[in-house]
Amino acid sequence: MNILEVKNLYKSFDTIKAVDGVSFNIKQGSVFGLIGRNGAGKTTTLRMMMNIYTPDSGEILLNGKHIDNEFKKKVGYLPEERGLYKKMTVMDTLLFFADVKGKKGADIKRKANEYLERFDLADRKLTKIQDLSKGNQQKIQFIATILHDPEFLVLDEPFSGLDPINTDLLRQIIIDLRDKGKVIIFSTHLMDFAEKMCDYITMIDHGKIILDGNLSELKAQYAKKNVSLNYEGDISFLKNNSMIESIDDFGNTTGIRLKSASDIQELLKLLVNNNVTVKKFDANDISLHEIFVLLAENNEVKEEKNV
Amino acid sequence: MFNQRMLSILKRELKDKILSRTFIVMTLLVPLFMVIILALPTYLMTMDKNDNFNITVITENNKIADNLKTELGKIESVKEGKSRIKFLVKDENGLKEYLKENKQKILNENITGVIYLPKKSAADKRLKFYSNNPNNKNLFNQLKGSFNQVLTDNYFSGKNLSEKDVKYARTRVFFDSFRISKDASIKAESKGNRIISFLLTFLLYFSLIYMGTMVMRSVVEEKNSKIVEVILSSVSSKELMTGKILGAAITGLLQMIIWLTPLILLISTSIFIIPAEFALQIDMPLILYFLFNFFIGLITFLGLFATVGSIFDNDQDAQSGIWPLMMLVIIPFFIAIAIQDNPNNSIGYISSMFPFASIIVMPAKMSLIDVPLWQILISVVVNLGTMFGIFILAGKVYRVGILSTGKKPKWSEVIKWLKYKY
Repeated sequence: MNILEVKNLYKSFDTIKAVDGVSFNIKQGSVFGLIGRNGAGKTTTLRMMMNIYTPDSGEILLNGKHIDNEFKKKVGYLPEERGLYKKMTVMDTLLFFADVKGKKGADIKRKANEYLERFDLADRKLTKIQDLSKGNQQKIQFIATILHDPEFLVLDEPFSGLDPINTDLLRQIIIDLRDKGKVIIFSTHLMDFAEKMCDYITMIDHGKIILDGNLSELKAQYAKKNVSLNYEGDISFLKNNSMIESIDDFGNTTGIRLKSASDIQELLKLLVNNNVTVKKFDANDISLHEIFVLLAENNEVKEEKNV
Repeated sequence: MFNQRMLSILKRELKDKILSRTFIVMTLLVPLFMVIILALPTYLMTMDKNDNFNITVITENNKIADNLKTELGKIESVKEGKSRIKFLVKDENGLKEYLKENKQKILNENITGVIYLPKKSAADKRLKFYSNNPNNKNLFNQLKGSFNQVLTDNYFSGKNLSEKDVKYARTRVFFDSFRISKDASIKAESKGNRIISFLLTFLLYFSLIYMGTMVMRSVVEEKNSKIVEVILSSVSSKELMTGKILGAAITGLLQMIIWLTPLILLISTSIFIIPAEFALQIDMPLILYFLFNFFIGLITFLGLFATVGSIFDNDQDAQSGIWPLMMLVIIPFFIAIAIQDNPNNSIGYISSMFPFASIIVMPAKMSLIDVPLWQILISVVVNLGTMFGIFILAGKVYRVGILSTGKKPKWSEVIKWLKYKY
């Protein structure tokens, strides 16, 4: 069931069309990823969903009704541009952010303590924010986002500034929240994270949606002509081969895109014959990264033609 | 706009401001500062009186010189030998010679001045004073009485007048001032009202600028440390602005009440006794009007200061952007000081009912004279109108400003923001 529907959003700033007819639906209990490069219109879309900007036209429906300021109470929003009051203590900060959402009392205090415990910050309750490290400030910021137990969690580039351990901790908490039936909407330009966490993906570029759907279905749809390869040896002989469309080196893996899906067996044979040690040959895999680059490039060409 | 979300913001602002060290220090320091400001001129004046001098008095006859010797000898510093007076008898040519000879001494102020009494002065009391500093009012004030007495006595001597008549002729005219008020009876006017008027004007001026700058900084800080978008996910920009401004305005009002407490005690109780010369005519209704007017003024100006804060994303740019606002406070402040001599002049009349200026000029005027009720009502209506008008405009700029980052916007762009659908 669609819990949140975004319909035909438009928003311009002077002559720049920041969001140009964006529509998508978000289902209950899912992790929804809004992806796209910097300046694609992600943040503007999220700001309109948060009722911070008023759209030029279009509507946002929660359970079929227009969202209003009451919707804000049900949301925990972690914007990309985020910060805290430097002179407040950790506990005061957490209680203040819960208070503006209309939650207060012993219950919230207990929960705040629980989260601080979990993030290993229990002894910093009375520390001023300005005396915390950047990473710890990020943790407090995240606790402040989820302390009031929101139904929706909107995270704009949530992992920036976190070390790997805390990134994992944050990811675990996001997954826990999803399992409790919360809706998680997150926006990122890091395809890796989006791929690992999202059930649904909407890709936005130049203010327009260029991809939208269930992640595994999307991957299946784009994967047919793609091979994900781990190997030892030299594959430079493939470069001029007529059945290859492109080769992308992603570090650990190499993505090979064929002109036709029927050539997959031929490719494997070719690799073995050329003494390449094949460690992994996944003919049904395409990374979100590859889809993103592919679509963004196509879109670029289209945009240029339009101009 | 007035809801739980706004109240949360307001509570935080109050806590943040009232418990801050600056608030406590300022609340204590300003009264001390006021005492210094009020006491300093008086202190300087008493310092001035003790100026010592070294003068030469040149007369054309011995009799007047002798009388002057006795009379001037009564001056404190002459008695103590700190000031010296040399008496010479010369005519006009002798004077010219004397001046020529002693030019160097006069220039380097070894001789404070030369006073010449021409023959004519016995009839018209016009004396001549030659000095490096010929407008020495302080010296004149010290000497005037003695010369007047000697010349008056000299004029009437041999005219067969009683001592009483001569004494009458010596006295100057003096105005005893009384204030006619609508309600109460005629009261003797005192210096106290002018002091209070100055005090209230100064506190108003100071607090508007101080609280304004504080709000502006806190808006810049929210923008700068990027809290603002986090907060906007919970409250609307209007709620945020209202909470901030009300929080600061309540803080300012509380501070003002603390500052005025001695004054309130003074007029409502008999704990303090003040000399009749400084008796105060102000009453509780005036104090209440002052506080009400101050609160409206604070909200108006804080709205403007918050708007300027929202336009810029660092303190330095914001500081350079507030000068138009400063003018709106400083010009009325000087008008309020200027009308102390005559509160009914036309500038005082107009500015006491003019937007922005009214906030500062009207209370100053009211503490000096009885202002007709209709003028007070116009002032209140104008102030409330200005406040609501500013609030609407400020809100429109603020909602765009707080989310704008990057380069410093031009004023023309800010005007455009008013029309944005945000």
